[in-house]
Amino acid sequence: MEITNIMLSGVGGQGILTSGRIIALAAMDAGLDVKMSEVHGMSQRGGNVDTHVRIGEAVPSSLIPVGGAHFLVSFEKLEALRYLNYLLPGGTAFVARHEIPPLTQNLKKNTGYVADIDSKLEAKAPRLVWVDAFEIAKELGDPRMVNVILLGALSNATKGLGPKNWEAAIRERFKKNIQEACIEAFNRGSANGRAA
Amino acid sequence: MKRLMLGNEAVARGAWEAGVGFGSGYPGTPSTEILEYLASYEEVAVQWAPNENIGLEVSIGAMLAGERALVTMKHVGLNVAADPFFSVAYTGVNGGLVVVSADDPGMHSSQDEQDNRYFAKAAKVLMVEPVDPDEACWMAREAFALSERFDSPVLLRMTTRVSHQTGVVTTGEKQAAARKGFKKDIAKFVLLPSHARERRHDVERRIQAARAFGNDSDLWNPIFKGTSNTGVITSGVAYGYVRETLPGASILKLGLTWPLPTGRIEAFAKTVRELFVVEELEPFIEEALLASGLKAKGAELRPYTGELNLSVVEKMLLGAPKHAATIDLSDTPLPSRPPTLCPGCGHRAMFGLFREMHLRVMGDIGCYTLGALKPLAAMDSCLCMGASVGMAEGLQRFGGPKEKGRTVGVIGDSTFFHSGIPGLLDMLANRSDATLVILDNSVTAMTGGQPNPGTGKDIRGNDAPRLDTATVCRGLGVKRVRVVDPYKIEEVRKVLEEELAAPEVSVVIARAPCVLEYRITRGRPAEVKVDICDRCGACIRVGCMAIHERDGYPEVDPELCNGCGVCEQVCEAKAVLIPKD
Repeated sequence: MEITNIMLSGVGGQGILTSGRIIALAAMDAGLDVKMSEVHGMSQRGGNVDTHVRIGEAVPSSLIPVGGAHFLVSFEKLEALRYLNYLLPGGTAFVARHEIPPLTQNLKKNTGYVADIDSKLEAKAPRLVWVDAFEIAKELGDPRMVNVILLGALSNATKGLGPKNWEAAIRERFKKNIQEACIEAFNRGSANGRAA
Repeated sequence: MKRLMLGNEAVARGAWEAGVGFGSGYPGTPSTEILEYLASYEEVAVQWAPNENIGLEVSIGAMLAGERALVTMKHVGLNVAADPFFSVAYTGVNGGLVVVSADDPGMHSSQDEQDNRYFAKAAKVLMVEPVDPDEACWMAREAFALSERFDSPVLLRMTTRVSHQTGVVTTGEKQAAARKGFKKDIAKFVLLPSHARERRHDVERRIQAARAFGNDSDLWNPIFKGTSNTGVITSGVAYGYVRETLPGASILKLGLTWPLPTGRIEAFAKTVRELFVVEELEPFIEEALLASGLKAKGAELRPYTGELNLSVVEKMLLGAPKHAATIDLSDTPLPSRPPTLCPGCGHRAMFGLFREMHLRVMGDIGCYTLGALKPLAAMDSCLCMGASVGMAEGLQRFGGPKEKGRTVGVIGDSTFFHSGIPGLLDMLANRSDATLVILDNSVTAMTGGQPNPGTGKDIRGNDAPRLDTATVCRGLGVKRVRVVDPYKIEEVRKVLEEELAAPEVSVVIARAPCVLEYRITRGRPAEVKVDICDRCGACIRVGCMAIHERDGYPEVDPELCNGCGVCEQVCEAKAVLIPKD
């Protein structure tokens, strides 16, 4: 079995580490080897953050090379574009419809964000799945659900990880009182990703 | 049992399995979580030290009492702890002593990229290097046994990608620790020159014994026989990249990397036609090969700086990377997203003020180093822990009339306790008239909110004695100590002006608890009245994530805004307001 490479990207504080951990737990539940790499420290103060997750029968190293990711899961559009070149030629990007302006340096017009970012992402990504992660999380009344919603969308594409593995991972990672809500959010994300 | 663990968590687990009795250290990325995880084992005495030197010295005391002791730090922390580290190499141990150095190739969170393998070589202590969390667990455990067997401290060298890698770990059982008790042995533990000269020979004998052990050890230095004539010698995180790039090669994977098993290396070299050395940072192993007259390819095929990854190793071993970007982003310049001070942070207004007052700022290590970045850009130098104090004194004294009265040292509370205090003593004893600003948020924030002597909590969150920075400064003999509220910009400006003009040492303490670690919301989100905004940009120049440009005007993100009111205070048009109830 080939190693599957999953890149996660977003802004510090968005729950990216938690998402990586859930994928890793699901892989373990499926009897697979997994390695995940993350950077702490400076990146937590609102900087861009990435987490590399690699799963397979035996995974020797933890970093995904540029041009080597099967999947990119992004919590923010600009950070999707920044990490897009990690994708393999046939790779898929799962992107939350969400914008966080980076730190503005002055008040000149349109210094805050990339113009027409949606069409740029659509033009450049080999395959793109938009996920309404923040809208769904709002409907569910808990903004912290964004990460499991995105994982739900990703789960449509990850061969080797079944619904049972994902559920086991979510139950392991979250406290009892929010497990059911997380599983519901995960299923909503999965349906949303399929519809896209 | 198999468990998913962070590399740092695995080190703590391995130490616990070895029956470690004491853990100390100072927070520093990427090492910090080791001690925090160790603290989750209730029966182990675990505490943060004010700096790495003290952490090692207390650990040496525990080791003398017969405990197995673990001390953790980032690579530059070992510079601070180097004095006892080199000396305890001569005394050797009673209980096992393991020193963790977490290096940071690529400088993700550090001011330099030093390769601490040279510390093991220079101090003549044993060194082990794990590849991944699984190895981090058993190597941490077995390092204590090595320490006691060879009567040496052991350097457990981690790197960012091992410390912050999560992987599957096969855990073991906790070993029963045999408490040895203190043993009086003056010739061994009192390093008078006459004793040290004798110990020097013991050190040499120990290194030869450990080298012979490493030459024979299939556990620490395994050889994986391949199908091709290519051989690779490697260690640490580099091993994984080699294994993936050349599945058919023979590999000598070094886990006990000082003393290097030169006999095993020479024997391995003879079995292959083409030999590579793949290691991160300096050519540490490669130099030893050259000294043995062995030819290998390595350092000339890779960059001298930065981390290795699969692409770099593919280029080294195959001539070209197998992976490359196929998506062209060159037509879309992306705005960078550097880390910034949190919304509501008490440091922000201080750096805005330093900038407005055109001060010469000697900075230090912590969240507030971010004050050097645009748009605040209010720092002129930053080197290492505690350096701001001495540098401010030197610049003030020799900068001439241009720098006189406008130079400040800027240091956080944790860094002040770490190594700022001796600098302040130097100012006092040498009649300096420099000004020190202590940004006191009562926590070690940048590494994730660890307690320091000024926090009043221990590593497990229990109440502990709390040292007050102002009392400490007065106790040292500083006559001019002023405590200010950093959110009151005009008041702080007046105090700074007075203290900069004072002809003696002054300390200004800007005291405000960290909003992140103490979960403080300072007010309701700011609102912008676009109709009276004159677009001067002062609010943007405070450098806050919660306020950004939208259609040429400032816009506040109410989800992010902490309501601290710094942008409100700098707005002369009164267009940015914090709603009051």
